[in-house]
Amino acid sequence: MKGKSFRWFLLGVLVLCLTIPTAIFAAGKPIILGVPTSLGFLEGKEGLFCVKMAVDEINAAGGVNVAGKKRPFKVISIDARGAEPGVPVAEVIKAHKKLILENKANFIVFGSFRSECAIAAMDVVGQYKIPMILGTAMSPAMEKKVQTNYDKYKYTFRVCLNAVYLIKYLGGTMAYLNKQFGFDRVFIMNKDVAWARKTGDLMVKLVFDKMGWKVVGRQAYPAGSSDFSAALMKARAKKAQVILPIFDMPQSGILVKQWKSMRVPTLIAGFISPLAGPAAWNSFDKKIDGAINSIFEIGNVPVPKVPKSVEFFNKYKKRYGRPIEAGHSPAPSYEMVYILKEAIERAGTIDGDAVVAELEKTDRMGAIGRIRFNKGHQVIYGQDPNETAMGCMVQWRKPGKRVIVYPPNIAEAKIQLPPGLRPAK
Amino acid sequence: MLIGTLVYGFVNSAILALVAMGFNLTFGISGVANFAYGAVYIFSGFFAWILLNSAGLPYIVCVIGAIVGAGILGILMYYTVILRVKGIALSEVMATFGLGLAIMELFRYFDFVGFRYTLPIFFDGSLSMGEVYIDYQRLIIALIAIALTTFLYFFTRYTKIGLAFRAIAQDERTALTFGIESDRIGALSMAFGSALAAVAAIVILPLGTIAVEGGYEVLINALAVCIVGGLGSTVGILVASVLIGYAQTFTANYLEPHWMILVSLIAIAVILTIKPSGLFGKQKELEERV
Repeated sequence: MKGKSFRWFLLGVLVLCLTIPTAIFAAGKPIILGVPTSLGFLEGKEGLFCVKMAVDEINAAGGVNVAGKKRPFKVISIDARGAEPGVPVAEVIKAHKKLILENKANFIVFGSFRSECAIAAMDVVGQYKIPMILGTAMSPAMEKKVQTNYDKYKYTFRVCLNAVYLIKYLGGTMAYLNKQFGFDRVFIMNKDVAWARKTGDLMVKLVFDKMGWKVVGRQAYPAGSSDFSAALMKARAKKAQVILPIFDMPQSGILVKQWKSMRVPTLIAGFISPLAGPAAWNSFDKKIDGAINSIFEIGNVPVPKVPKSVEFFNKYKKRYGRPIEAGHSPAPSYEMVYILKEAIERAGTIDGDAVVAELEKTDRMGAIGRIRFNKGHQVIYGQDPNETAMGCMVQWRKPGKRVIVYPPNIAEAKIQLPPGLRPAK
Repeated sequence: MLIGTLVYGFVNSAILALVAMGFNLTFGISGVANFAYGAVYIFSGFFAWILLNSAGLPYIVCVIGAIVGAGILGILMYYTVILRVKGIALSEVMATFGLGLAIMELFRYFDFVGFRYTLPIFFDGSLSMGEVYIDYQRLIIALIAIALTTFLYFFTRYTKIGLAFRAIAQDERTALTFGIESDRIGALSMAFGSALAAVAAIVILPLGTIAVEGGYEVLINALAVCIVGGLGSTVGILVASVLIGYAQTFTANYLEPHWMILVSLIAIAVILTIKPSGLFGKQKELEERV
């Protein structure tokens, strides 16, 4: 009997010896996701949180199925500080190279914050054939590069909104204001950086000139500006009906407070990053009612018609104990990890070229709506969440609620004019 | 437009004067160019925010707490770091700049990033002067700048500590023979300078949000005003604040706001070329000190 037990014991040990390494082997070598972003900025920080949230969900469900082997994702992030004033592009490129060469990143997700850096980084990822999915940089130049030299730049994709789509949302809102209230005089204020300047230029060329609006003034403010009285006085003097702000810096919330305190009789409609999140109401002393702000990608705002955006919004709040504040990046950052997972699983390999081919075939319903890439590797944004990804415009209303006012497919209410401002017709 | 420019130019000048006052006081007394000044400003803002939102204290207690906290931080910086390198100008600059970086990056590390970090305004509403509207908070900034300048004038002339400050600033060795301990006064000057940074933070930050990178901006503005006015000269600070403040506002209103930063830089370049010690400065070796 003793001998029989011993044999069973030996057999057990043998089975254990065989199964443990198999299990370890099956868990697989991690797939490294390099995240070179700007953690000093809210979009960078919350974007990374969302990447980690998606990675944890995927790993908890067993990981990524690469040709039958389950492999976990592993995130390595670098605070490349690309969004901060004065940080040279070369520093951000170094961060990309470090991730690829030292940390052996298989993919770059979220990518550089500023377009200047992201566009320069396209050469780096092209050189090493590492697919990169962008989550903040917005310049359409990225798509041009992909289309003009596909073989070299095909490794770069973008899930977040680009400047052209932002213009479409802003332009749609301006068309609505013109039709509803007869407004046609605008004053443009933008941050003095590439994406904001370009957005302002394109708004003039593609929207205001075509729609017959008069641009009564335009001013660019350097990063870090905290007094906007000069432009507000000019807007008042030149009888602007709408102020179009384009800012992504923490200090830009001051603009709306000054607009209120200086009682400038205009409507503010554009993008001011600190106004995107639910905390803005209290942060700015409840003085932002009436301001219309762009939410670059839904998910920052839960949209009942896109159930996954509500699910994502609640999941984030549950995990991190507070709601998403950034109006740009979080939901795309979450989605890009799933997009990558699905592409790797379809490709059955983590080889850059094979994954790129599968990324191009992406068709997924996610927190930002339907996700598909165009030929320039940009996710297509539009008006219908069943067909495209979505951004939206919200208006701040008392007592601190963000109401979706555009596009009509997902709008919850119509735009209201702030006290003291009357329709022009 | 002109009236608006004059009004906002005055407020801008008051902001610059408030921001530069603490930096100037510390340098004038102890000769230490405190490059951690911007960090102390940000520290005060975040400290007040923590006391208000995390500890739930009444706002007046938070304000006093932030000012006292900044003062204590100044003393700690003096005794733990500055005292060891005192007299070696380059080491002082490097040590204080490093300290400042450490303080600011600590806040970033502990997740003080975002738009929710704001301080409440003192009074809501705005005042109209014809077509020009100005909010009460900006008026308060101007009033506090005037009040603080007056206070410092009397403090340095009619109080024991104030006179000791001036004695050390004028001649440290002679002051020592009168029993004034220079290290103690140096620490106090750091405390006062830091407390003044806290006062500036408490009144200016409610206009917007508290952001780590704001510390660098404050340091640059303080340096610009002090260099132009003359390091250590209170009158110089006031004159330089008005000059730079109005030059910036006129530039923003009649040229473009993105040229504003050039105003400070051009002013620094011109002053360093023509009169390196500043308009009213007595520091003959300015180039070596800064």
